[in-house]
Amino acid sequence: MRQVLNIAYYESLHVFKDKIILLLILLVPALYTLLFGAVYFSAVLTDIPLAVVDLDRSGLSREVVAAFKNSPKFKVTGEISTYEGLQEGMKTGAVRAGVVIPENFEKKALLRRGTEVLTVYDASNLIWGYNTRKYALEVINHFSTGRTAAYLAGLGMTEREIKGVLDTVSCNLDVWYNPTYSYTTYLFLGLVMMIIHQICLLGVSLTVTREKDRNSWMQYIGAALPRWKIFLGKCLPYLVINFFNYVLLLWLSARLINVKAGGSMGLIVLLGLLYGVIITSAGFYFSARAPNSLQVTRYVMLLSVPLFIISGYTWPMTHIPGFVEGPARLLPYTWMAEAIRTVTVKNLGFGYVRGAILALSALSVLSVLLAVNFDRRRKPPRAGGPVINSGSGYPQEGP
Amino acid sequence: MITQCLSIMRREIFYLWRDKGLRWILIAGPLLGILLFYSTYSRQVLKDIPTAVVDLDRSGSSREIIAQIKNSEDLEIVARPGNFDQLEELIKQGKIVVGVVIPENFAENVLLGRQARVEMILDGSNMVYATGATGALLKITRAAGARAGIKTLVARGVQPDQARNAYQAIVFREEPWFNPTLNYAFFLVVALALNVWQQCCTLAACMNIIGETGLNSWRQVKAAGISRFKLFFCKSLAHIALFMLTVLPVYVLAYAVFNFPLHCSFAVLLLFTLAFAVALHGVGTLASSISRNAVDATRFGMIIALPAFILSGYTWPLEAMPQFIRHAVKILPQTWFFQGFNFLTFKNPGWGFMSDYFLALLIIAVACYGTAALIFKVKEM
Repeated sequence: MRQVLNIAYYESLHVFKDKIILLLILLVPALYTLLFGAVYFSAVLTDIPLAVVDLDRSGLSREVVAAFKNSPKFKVTGEISTYEGLQEGMKTGAVRAGVVIPENFEKKALLRRGTEVLTVYDASNLIWGYNTRKYALEVINHFSTGRTAAYLAGLGMTEREIKGVLDTVSCNLDVWYNPTYSYTTYLFLGLVMMIIHQICLLGVSLTVTREKDRNSWMQYIGAALPRWKIFLGKCLPYLVINFFNYVLLLWLSARLINVKAGGSMGLIVLLGLLYGVIITSAGFYFSARAPNSLQVTRYVMLLSVPLFIISGYTWPMTHIPGFVEGPARLLPYTWMAEAIRTVTVKNLGFGYVRGAILALSALSVLSVLLAVNFDRRRKPPRAGGPVINSGSGYPQEGP
Repeated sequence: MITQCLSIMRREIFYLWRDKGLRWILIAGPLLGILLFYSTYSRQVLKDIPTAVVDLDRSGSSREIIAQIKNSEDLEIVARPGNFDQLEELIKQGKIVVGVVIPENFAENVLLGRQARVEMILDGSNMVYATGATGALLKITRAAGARAGIKTLVARGVQPDQARNAYQAIVFREEPWFNPTLNYAFFLVVALALNVWQQCCTLAACMNIIGETGLNSWRQVKAAGISRFKLFFCKSLAHIALFMLTVLPVYVLAYAVFNFPLHCSFAVLLLFTLAFAVALHGVGTLASSISRNAVDATRFGMIIALPAFILSGYTWPLEAMPQFIRHAVKILPQTWFFQGFNFLTFKNPGWGFMSDYFLALLIIAVACYGTAALIFKVKEM
């Protein structure tokens, strides 16, 4: 054990001596979390700029306009009053939605001659698009109910009778887990898990390449030390730092960014530990195989976007084809992101994350086995011709 | 002058080609990106959201509601659990997103004019599902209410025409502009591939200065007396040309093979991408100028490039971000590029509007190259 601790101590010294890597693994995760927290702080879209083109200017058209004005989700801009203006405003992003009330609207509506109000919304960004559509439908439903009530009152029905008719079928929409439709609740912990994934991978993937860059890896592979001791000693500091980051980022998310983060503490800890073991072992494995620190840094950096998109965390797995889903299921992020959502956002217990825990456990064993059985042979740099950055060195200024 | 410039460019291309890792990243990264994202979003539109219905009434009225759900292209009934507990379990297991419970005596209550309550449950944890499903449910709610209300009114002796008029006084028609089918692939695939592309380009741009000064050959370059400006200008030209070459297959695949909508001309899109490539290269060069070695340069460049897409407002809109973030992210070229890319490809608002975006990218480029030159000068001294 002393040998493992000695290796861990020297690895920690490397990390503490390299100010940039120290900042990267201790400060950048928290900074990214706070930055994304600020970006998603509002959580829901409100004050959607809406243009009203009222070509009728009648009592009824003003009622329609008032219905949209009274919605806290829309902000009616008074500067646009023509259809051409609406087209231009939508093109430049000055407005994201519009209501067009045609000429003779009231007259035709009263005579039941078939007239319609046009609601348009900007679908070039589907976050705008779907939210605006939902808000507009809410306003329309509310307005239509009011119109029906007024019509029935005109037929001489009492308020109680009207209520009875309107409530004949009441549909109660109950939104579970995220009743305010908060984008922060939906997305944030997925981003946090990706930050942890990338920063940990970036740190640990340098553990062997750093030695290769300095020609000191020979000392490890030539020493009378079993592989597992080298692996454990090298990875121990990163396991600790990774778990520290995991706890810190979850705490920041819950406390400062008001992300919904409930659920069983035991499950959260277990998931964090498994996730940390997989990433750390995988990082060590990549590091042992990579020629130098530059190459491994480059590859690791590029992983975040593809892993996030194919994980099913945003675009759902039900709509992802099998040949993408299959490889995605072999990745720890896919399981972790879904499990952390199930535990923290949905507040569900072990039974609902059993599959994810099993998959993460299997991946842990696999990644540790791969990492422990690293190749002890040191391949010499290729001879002949200039090898630029794929060789054992990379450009760096002299001391 | 031109011969020397061409020699430097040729040498730079040779160096980049010999860097096997970077070569494959630049050639394969953006291409793999667009193919992977196109596959992921191959269903393109979010329809058929998994739905379960608990019909405790099994009447004509309840079947009408179920028919409405079936007719909605947004929802797909995938389960018919026998009771609420089973439905709850399906939602918890993530097997369904929407649950509808039609209570016992539903038809009888409607007939007698008593209140009948249909429970609709929605898993809101994934907003892609939730916003799509809510729209569908709101439409069903309105239609179901109207249908039942008309029946009640007729049962109470109101003329059928009057009863229908009570519910159909005003028709609202919705029209999504610029992306009429609410197609997620149109919205995201090219942008995500360009995000990968800009990360790959950043990796290359970060080598601009340190790739020279960090090698022993730098002494030879200095001794040869080549103008530093000429050297780095020509290197940058080679890099930017390469960036444009690597983005071309992405655009060809997107707009010629996958037939994604493109509302501006291809030339304008390429010109705008060129402006961004210059600005992005400036940022990479700046990261390169302050670094001790190539690894640090890569880290600095990528610390900016990695979160840039989220900060750009391409998905979560800039207008919804706090004001200080909204202003701060404008120093990143990615913000101008992804915003401008959305405007150009979906709306094509014209040169008058887009000129600000070109100008911003050029200002960022000048600021980054200028600062990098200053830092380089100070280090040389």
